[in-house]
Amino acid sequence: MKRKKNFKKNKKNNRHSKLSLFQKADTKFTRSCPLSGKDAPTIDYKNIKLLKKYTSESGRILPSRITSVSLKKQKELSRSIKRARLLALL
Amino acid sequence: MNCYEQTVIAKQDLPGSQLKTLIGKYQDIINKNSGKVVKTEEWGLLNLSHNIKNNKKGFYFHIKFNGIGKTIKKLEEAENIDQMLIRYLTVKVKKHDLDKEYFQKKVL
Repeated sequence: MKRKKNFKKNKKNNRHSKLSLFQKADTKFTRSCPLSGKDAPTIDYKNIKLLKKYTSESGRILPSRITSVSLKKQKELSRSIKRARLLALL
Repeated sequence: MNCYEQTVIAKQDLPGSQLKTLIGKYQDIINKNSGKVVKTEEWGLLNLSHNIKNNKKGFYFHIKFNGIGKTIKKLEEAENIDQMLIRYLTVKVKKHDLDKEYFQKKVL
């Protein structure tokens, strides 16, 4: 019995249960910030391993719309990347 | 008193004994000018990601200390005229992070 109930719920929230093409989707694709929240890595100019994840191959800072880092953490990140560049670590 | 940390890059071609006196010299400057050294790390010889003044490698060391504005002023004054250094960076931090060491010296 329980399973049946869940199945019904899922059907309601399913993205493909739209009536027409122009109807807006109920659920939006979102990803939470990987650097905020509990047990997230600390952003530091000495932590080169972390900083390298958020730079391109040529060493440019990746925009937050790609990495989905929050605004506050992106500011911190860009500051620490610039510090690492000054010390020729990146 | 504020918490600061400073990373210094020294030139590669210095003999080993001179490096220790160099680190000791800056620790003395901090301690004399109403500051206090908390921790000193030696990161060792690292490759620079880009050349700075025709240097390809540099010897890194990192000092964590407590101090006031005067401490920083005197320290950077001495570093600006030092021929043995390539570059330095002073950062103010809220709290010293004493557990983590990102650059551990390799044991040969």
